[in-house]
Amino acid sequence: MKSIRTVTAALVAVGLLAACATAAAVASSTKTVTISVASLIPGSTQAAINQFNAQVAEFEKANPSIKVEPVQYQWTAPTFAAKLAAGTLPTVFEVPFTDARSLGDAGQVADITSLVKALPYYSKFNKAVLAEATDSKGQIIALPKGAYAQALHYNRQLFQQAGLNPNKPPTTWAQVEADALAIHQKTGKPGYVEMAKDDNTAGWILTTLVYSLGGRMETGRGTSAKATLDNPQTVSALNLLKHMRWTDNSMGSNFDYGWSDINQAFAAGQVGMYVSGSDVYTNLVQAYNVNPSIYGLAPIPLAKNKNAGVLGGGTLAVVKPNASAAQKVAAVKWMDFFYEEPLVSKAQAIRNAKTLAANKQPIGVPALPLFDKAQSQLANTWIQPYINVPISQMKPFLNGIYNENVIPEPEASTQSVYHALDAVVESVLTNKNTDIQSMLQQANSEAQQAISSGS
Amino acid sequence: MSEERPAALISHAEWLRPSVRYGVGAAHVVLLVLLVVVGLGPLLWLAKSAITPTNDTITHPMGLFPNGFAWGNLSEAWNNVDVARYFWNTVVIAIGSWASQLFVATTAGYALSVLRPKYAKVITGLLLTTLFVPGVVLLVPLYIEVVRPPIVHHTLIDTYWAIWLPAGASAFNVVIMKRFFDNLPREIFEAARIDGAGPFMLFWKIVLPMSKPILGVVSIFAVLASWKDFLWPLLVLTDPSKQPLSVRLPSIEGQTELGVFLAAMFIACLVPVAGFLVFQRSFLRGSGLSGAIKG
Amino acid sequence: MAGGGGGLGPPPPATEAMNANAISEIEVEGAAVAAHQAYRRPRRTPLTWVRGGGLSNLLFLAPMLFAFGAFSWYPIVRTGIMAFQHTNLVQAPTWVGFANFSAVWHDPQFPVAVKNTAYFAFLALIFGYPIPLVAAVLMSEVRKRRGLYSALAYLPVVIPPVVAVLLWKTFYDADSTGVFNTILGWVHLGPYPWLQSESWAMPSLVLESTWANAGATVIIYLAALTGVNADLYEAASVDGANLRQKVWHVTLPQLRGVLLVTLILQLIGTAQVFLEPYLFTSGGPANHTLTVLLLIYNYAFGNSLGGDYGKATALSLMLAAFLAVFSLIYLRATRGWSTE
Repeated sequence: MKSIRTVTAALVAVGLLAACATAAAVASSTKTVTISVASLIPGSTQAAINQFNAQVAEFEKANPSIKVEPVQYQWTAPTFAAKLAAGTLPTVFEVPFTDARSLGDAGQVADITSLVKALPYYSKFNKAVLAEATDSKGQIIALPKGAYAQALHYNRQLFQQAGLNPNKPPTTWAQVEADALAIHQKTGKPGYVEMAKDDNTAGWILTTLVYSLGGRMETGRGTSAKATLDNPQTVSALNLLKHMRWTDNSMGSNFDYGWSDINQAFAAGQVGMYVSGSDVYTNLVQAYNVNPSIYGLAPIPLAKNKNAGVLGGGTLAVVKPNASAAQKVAAVKWMDFFYEEPLVSKAQAIRNAKTLAANKQPIGVPALPLFDKAQSQLANTWIQPYINVPISQMKPFLNGIYNENVIPEPEASTQSVYHALDAVVESVLTNKNTDIQSMLQQANSEAQQAISSGS
Repeated sequence: MSEERPAALISHAEWLRPSVRYGVGAAHVVLLVLLVVVGLGPLLWLAKSAITPTNDTITHPMGLFPNGFAWGNLSEAWNNVDVARYFWNTVVIAIGSWASQLFVATTAGYALSVLRPKYAKVITGLLLTTLFVPGVVLLVPLYIEVVRPPIVHHTLIDTYWAIWLPAGASAFNVVIMKRFFDNLPREIFEAARIDGAGPFMLFWKIVLPMSKPILGVVSIFAVLASWKDFLWPLLVLTDPSKQPLSVRLPSIEGQTELGVFLAAMFIACLVPVAGFLVFQRSFLRGSGLSGAIKG
Repeated sequence: MAGGGGGLGPPPPATEAMNANAISEIEVEGAAVAAHQAYRRPRRTPLTWVRGGGLSNLLFLAPMLFAFGAFSWYPIVRTGIMAFQHTNLVQAPTWVGFANFSAVWHDPQFPVAVKNTAYFAFLALIFGYPIPLVAAVLMSEVRKRRGLYSALAYLPVVIPPVVAVLLWKTFYDADSTGVFNTILGWVHLGPYPWLQSESWAMPSLVLESTWANAGATVIIYLAALTGVNADLYEAASVDGANLRQKVWHVTLPQLRGVLLVTLILQLIGTAQVFLEPYLFTSGGPANHTLTVLLLIYNYAFGNSLGGDYGKATALSLMLAAFLAVFSLIYLRATRGWSTE
């Protein structure tokens, strides 16, 4: 009967439709190994993208059996969790120091201990940095991409317009406050701004301030750590912000800056000073084409307290856990080439610098050493001729950082600790009558809860 | 629809009284001015600022081109900020969602209204219950299902299927489709059946052609809903090159200068606004229709 | 998106009668066949099922059953299950009883979120409920070019919500050179902090939300208003009612059904507000715009190392249960007030 034929045809159609809904498997080739690698932050300039592609081409030429696919990548809390759960992270991806250990412990990144130990420069690694790349079972799960210390970024032009000496940035928090007030009074622009977004950056910067006054957010390790968010230094830091905001009115009128928008505001010449990682100059160039002459870099002012130190952090490159053995080998080769070689091989450092220079990318942005002192100083001499960042304007930081203790971020439930502090910072900046003590106590119990539950 | 005839609130006699005529007339003028300022104003500002240099927008937001135009904003948004790609993604997602919704709603409405198998009542009941469930209840498990689909075992994250497939599950669409089919004259179906038409023929050659108005309304709302969709694409499309405009725009806010960013937003508005102006009747009728269902 | 459920309407009479006839015919036939061959053949074979249209019924329902089954009913059921489990996508889920609900209940952010959501709903009601009605009543009497009014009112609704929020975010710039502050500056008001102040943030959100959504309500009211029976107005005029009395005694009562439904729908909708708090302020400043949906999102997707899906689904269930109970109470209380 006609209808049975149409029914059969329909059945076939439905079957095809169902088959279409099944995603195809990734084709695997026999000889070449393909790995996907994290490349640049989405929205980077074409020049930055070109430079990255040039490096990929160089690597593939040297390793004809490896094919590299760049994937634009930015670590943000929600998308990272999604990609992690779905398994759509590139083979080589990047995570901050704070997350690496937990990921390693949970088996969500590959163990590459043997491959890393086989690297010729393994013994030259900075021990503290290597410790961040090791999980609690002693397995090495990452190679360091970069380490930074927090720093004070300031706009030399605004300093000049306010009658301040751009070569003498503030060295105490009292001076920061005074300079911010001067900038505001003479130029109308906010003298000092602070990240106050609800995405953990507010807590991150507050923690930086507190460390520089000698306070700590935690004592102990792991799930038995004790939260100490409500220590006296935190109260001082918040009071400093409160004074600048409400009494001096030198912090402007926008209090929801996150990591990128504060960079954007600075690059546009809108703000006088802010605290962020010492390596943000790269972002300022790659995303915002900052005018180099306005940029100044100073170390975080430290209180005269033996516990005062500067918060340090960094980024690690890790490998997907379900990568095949061949892929792991290829991945470590890439990580070696892209992240480490420029610091240990003169030829590679120079080649790298040339590629970066050709694409007008910043070379010589101050960073914390990934290797021991001897190696780091040696590496610096190799790229000396190629440095194209205003290194003289960064002298205050380069000179001052060696006298500062670099302290790692709070170890237990770092992001949760920062998250608990976000609300306190926001409240101080947007509500004149915030009860700092009670808000801190609340934040403390919230952080303690997170620490005890290991989240 | 009596869109042209006013409500009979004000009687003819009252209109003749000057106090009523001028009072209500003045109220209408005020209302019109308010509607223009409030409804159209923000969009006009967006259009103006899209072609104004960033500096001017920041320092003199209400000025009118004090330093001339910046047409470059639009081209920079389209090319460098890659709005073209995100626009294209939005179009592709919208087409797929539309097809999915139409496919499910027409076949289901047809089965429940015209074919009426014995178990139709159960399904209709389930459908109505689904209509009452707030969307938030679905969110987390649907997400997990898309991340780790049970049978397929390959993640749907970063594929458009993660959006197209769930889009079909719109109880609202099925209900209004079914309602429309219910109101079609049965005699035509009988005549067709007697002529030997099977269920497929009936669907394809008779019911669908008769349903053009409702197909139009559902299509417009499907495309519009897809264009506006935010949270779900945000969750399931983590790869920036696949994201639609609504997801990408907030992410690039921090990296794009204001003039270019506003130009990108303006481009994102073009399709819905143009579509609205062209298909106004269907929009407004469809809105009234949803009101009729709710009332 | 929950919509109101009207009745299905009566089945078309012809089909019903036809079905009745057909069924009785089949019964007779079946009895006869059974009497002759009862020992040999069952009444329904797969072939008779296919011939009877069973297969094509199923084929037509298949897309819907697949779509709803996989992406609607299955997730709804799973919410009910996951709320009582601890899930972390690495190990198998474990049953934890009411632990998730307890954790949510004791979370200090929970009462904050509930209070904020109620505040949003309340403000949205004040700003956004009467205004569309007044506008619609006025518009219903426009003689010329009413389409222009409708189009202008509905225009904000077609703008993608993300664009609307981002646009208003620039309007709300707290500098004195922000758009709103500039305009208010012309009449020597401000500058105001808008989103940068704990007390101003939520009303700012509600203002934008009203702008973006009121148009749809206006159109619904307009359709209802033009459908009011003219005779009622005539009768009222004959009784000597003036305009205000006619609105109060004829228009509003006639609109009761629509008004009540839009009210409950608005309350249910605003209870689930997510976009505005997320894009404008991320729940800030200091959690003053944290809503229940945003809290659910934070539970599930806010932690870079994986979310707490148990707490997220528990809170979703709590919200859904609350809305269900609220709707029931509302429907029961307003049952006597409807005109039909």
